[in-house]
Amino acid sequence: MISRYFRYILFTLGLVLIQEKFLRFIGLEGITPDLLTIWIVYIALQHGQMHGMLWGFSIGLFIDLSVGNFIGLSALTKTIAGFTAGYFYDEQRKPVILGSYRFLVIILIVSFIHNIFYFVIFTRGSEIGLLRAVLEFGIATTCYTAVISLLPMFAFARKLGK
Amino acid sequence: MHRLLNIILLFKEYIVLILLIVFSLALLTSNDNPQIRQIRSYTVGAIGVVQEGLSIIPNVFELKSENQVLRRLDMDLSNEVNLLREARIENARLREMLSLRERLPYTMVTADIVSKNLLLLRNTITLNVGESDGLKPEMPIVCELGLVGKIIATSAHYSVGQLVFNKDFRASAKIERSRVDGIILWEGGEFLKLKNVARTQDIREGDVVITSEYSNIYPRDTKIGLVAAIYQKPGSLFKDIDVKPTVDFSTLEQVFVVTGSHNPERDALEKKAGAKK
Repeated sequence: MISRYFRYILFTLGLVLIQEKFLRFIGLEGITPDLLTIWIVYIALQHGQMHGMLWGFSIGLFIDLSVGNFIGLSALTKTIAGFTAGYFYDEQRKPVILGSYRFLVIILIVSFIHNIFYFVIFTRGSEIGLLRAVLEFGIATTCYTAVISLLPMFAFARKLGK
Repeated sequence: MHRLLNIILLFKEYIVLILLIVFSLALLTSNDNPQIRQIRSYTVGAIGVVQEGLSIIPNVFELKSENQVLRRLDMDLSNEVNLLREARIENARLREMLSLRERLPYTMVTADIVSKNLLLLRNTITLNVGESDGLKPEMPIVCELGLVGKIIATSAHYSVGQLVFNKDFRASAKIERSRVDGIILWEGGEFLKLKNVARTQDIREGDVVITSEYSNIYPRDTKIGLVAAIYQKPGSLFKDIDVKPTVDFSTLEQVFVVTGSHNPERDALEKKAGAKK
């Protein structure tokens, strides 16, 4: 169990590194997919709502502290993401959920809720209006994240097929 | 206890969620960036709307404390108004004093009256200036309304002034309008007396009495008072004239001591010729 947590931590650090340093190269009009939300959804579907929330909060706080410009925002939104994803946790059908279109739908729902909270708060005090924050940044990031989540979905589907 | 534990276990996800959200919000509020400032303003606005809606319900407990606060505020404001009123009166008086200072061609020392003695036949005032300020006996005391008296004793930092309401007070005076000369003095009572005015001289009630240029102590043309009454005693060659001083000594607080009006050369010559004691 400890080795699993250790692996998760290492994987999280790798994802944070990729998210912060490399993902901007595949950004479209400044919109980048959110790998960490996919990762939190995976944890919540694999281990339940409590794990999803706690990992979500920890990952969010780590991002806040490493980026340092808006401490607490990622912690809040990723906690909500973990909690929302945890609703779809099903002990018996975990592999099926992860390896099917359901994973994509869950990513869409969770990412949408996460991005709404994130961008509505993040764009306050700027010239970006509420509608633009939701449509342009919230929905665009959600779609892009969902597209990227196809990769793990196919991987889980292949694993399930075997 | 066991039941409570069961409830906590049943809702553990929600409890953890609330704790994490509260912690995140606490972290969020620690930021001081434009986003948080705007969210704070939204929050304050929303709370204001709610409070406004709830304000139609009277709160008896708050009304009592509010009443106390308002009473205290009322008292504070009343004190403030009194202070402002006093300041306005003082300001007007100081302005008048300043205009006198600019009007008179003498050097003057401003003085506060620290003590008054207005119940005797030799009425005096004590001033908070003395020899260290250049004061000497015989220097005249004036204020914006007219002649007050003269210095009769000095110490390093204080001096005593003889008022016009003093048995020893004497000054050369004249009627401003008709230039009739006389001697002004006090014999008790509420009026000064203008003496040595022949019964044929032109004097009317209301005439202004000023200091004369014959005085080597008091600056000339300083207002002393107004002619209040004129009496013609049968068999006398002179008029008996009451003069009401223009200075109200009961409210007098600040005065000027004229330090540069005395002419020592003239004084010495008059003493030498025997014209003066």
